[in-house]
Amino acid sequence: MAKKKVKYKATNKTLRQQIYEFRWIYFLGIPGLIILLLMNYMPMRNLIMAFQDYNPHLGILKSPWVGLEHFQTLFQDDKFYNMLKNTLIISGLSLLTFPAPVILALIMNEVRNAKFKKFIQTSVYLPHFLSWAIVASLTFFLLSTEQGFVNKVAEMMGNEPTAYLFSSKWIYVIIVVQSLWKSVGWGSIVYLAAIAGIDQSLYEAAKMDGANRFQCMWKITLPSIMPTVMVMLILRMGTIISVDFEQVFLMNNAMVKQQLEVFEVYIYNNSIASGSTQYSYTTAIGIFKSVINTGLVLLTNWITNRKGYEGVM
Amino acid sequence: MTSQSAAVLKKKSDRKKMGMKARENVYQGILWIFLIVLALTMILPFLYVVILSFTDSTAYQAGKLILWPEKWSTEAYQLILSGDGFMNALKSTLFITVIGTPLSVIINAGLAYMLSKPIPGKGFFNKYVMFTMLFSAGMVPNFMNIKQLGLIDNYFAMILPSLCGAWTIMVMRSFFQSLPVDLEEAAKIDGCGPLKIFARIVIPLSKPMLATMTLFAFVSYWNMYFNCVMYITSTAKQTLQVYVQKVVLSSTVSDVVDLSMDLATTVPQEVMRMAAVVVVVLPILIIYPFLQKYFQSGMMVGAVKG
Repeated sequence: MAKKKVKYKATNKTLRQQIYEFRWIYFLGIPGLIILLLMNYMPMRNLIMAFQDYNPHLGILKSPWVGLEHFQTLFQDDKFYNMLKNTLIISGLSLLTFPAPVILALIMNEVRNAKFKKFIQTSVYLPHFLSWAIVASLTFFLLSTEQGFVNKVAEMMGNEPTAYLFSSKWIYVIIVVQSLWKSVGWGSIVYLAAIAGIDQSLYEAAKMDGANRFQCMWKITLPSIMPTVMVMLILRMGTIISVDFEQVFLMNNAMVKQQLEVFEVYIYNNSIASGSTQYSYTTAIGIFKSVINTGLVLLTNWITNRKGYEGVM
Repeated sequence: MTSQSAAVLKKKSDRKKMGMKARENVYQGILWIFLIVLALTMILPFLYVVILSFTDSTAYQAGKLILWPEKWSTEAYQLILSGDGFMNALKSTLFITVIGTPLSVIINAGLAYMLSKPIPGKGFFNKYVMFTMLFSAGMVPNFMNIKQLGLIDNYFAMILPSLCGAWTIMVMRSFFQSLPVDLEEAAKIDGCGPLKIFARIVIPLSKPMLATMTLFAFVSYWNMYFNCVMYITSTAKQTLQVYVQKVVLSSTVSDVVDLSMDLATTVPQEVMRMAAVVVVVLPILIIYPFLQKYFQSGMMVGAVKG
């Protein structure tokens, strides 16, 4: 604070004069600040619902206070632990696919033909731009019991159709494959950029020493992009409590409800969808998730800064 | 003697070179096969849907595998496009996309430009933006907020929440910071006001970045799904994504398609579903080639790191 005052004095202008000087700059920023206020900060006042027994007829101001009761219920609720378990299973399984974009980037980097490389990039990035509603529809066309492509092929070969979309065994596999399909190409961009930044003289020197391409990849490319890989892994760990909600919501059905009930799905089904029966309790669940999330983001930021990776980002 | 051995050596090294070249070709061949298979897994599901969507109703037999229809027809498309369900959804998606996309880019760019200048209170405003990335009130408080603002079943309930994003603002800010200051200084000396500098110098210099952001905003509005599910109550205002989801999951497709004429019975439901998916994805496929240019640029890298 003191430092800033010195700075203002150095320009021989009072704070008011400075603000006046930048008035048009502020003018440009104000709409954005207002939108953030309306859409990101104003909702926060509704967080007090979590400490009340919200009744839509009484409204937020008059609903009775219950303190931390909802949070106590939360930690005794079997459903809560099921949600936590499902979230961690889906996140954990997705984490297994973490090396896929790295491997894809390494492979794409080995391709010599620039046109072919571009064609491959164009096709693997495409799924990123499709909505989950479309991806879910495509999954349905491929896997549905009667009309699905896979089951039609199975039937042709004399096998019984399998209800993949309703199977508790298959549903996690479907979710993970969908995520992989949608994000593997897009995720490889960051590693391709890291590879493009590697000093080419390293490769020339290695070639002089008789290294083959595989050795170059293993001993130069991979170690060079390792800091980027680490940062991405740490950031990924920071989102372990979140799943792609739209995806899980769209793949939900009565048969796999037990497996796919993650936090937001439960929150939605028991508040907005069912007409305000459990607004307070679901807000409490939301707070639990948001707090864990914030903690993880702060933790991952702290780790990446401490490890000296900030240059990578 | 020496020339002979030299010739032998040369032959040897030639053979070695040829061997290496052959090995390199095999290596490239394996890479190509792997990548082609990967690219096909990305394209084929969609291609399958496109081909089947043109199947004639007489050539379609439920439950039978069709890879190439015996008879082609566009009747499913005619039905989908003539239905009120599609027209309403298209209107609604077009409205939020046409209003939301430019508004989002302008507002984000303005705020990002403000944060890139040495204004008093810069630290506070930076934290103000960053905090929205760190902590979110959650679904129910957001829903209550929209309700309190009286925006339930209003198109703006879908436009406003995704208008400003901390990530977009931060990417834009670092781009503005990387612009050379000389031009702005020169314009200032020539008597240009800050608004004129922003409109005439900063925006033209940032075209590639703004184009990328416009496309991201376009995709996010075009793909609007859950905010519509939450905030929009009337069927006539639902977006294309909600519509396509209903078409695909409904057991009575013709109800969702909402035909003005009574033709629905002839076209198989599965073919109609596929046609609906194709129609909804088409605009994304059309703008996709324009995205290409930016794929390898730094902006995309910032985008992925998010």
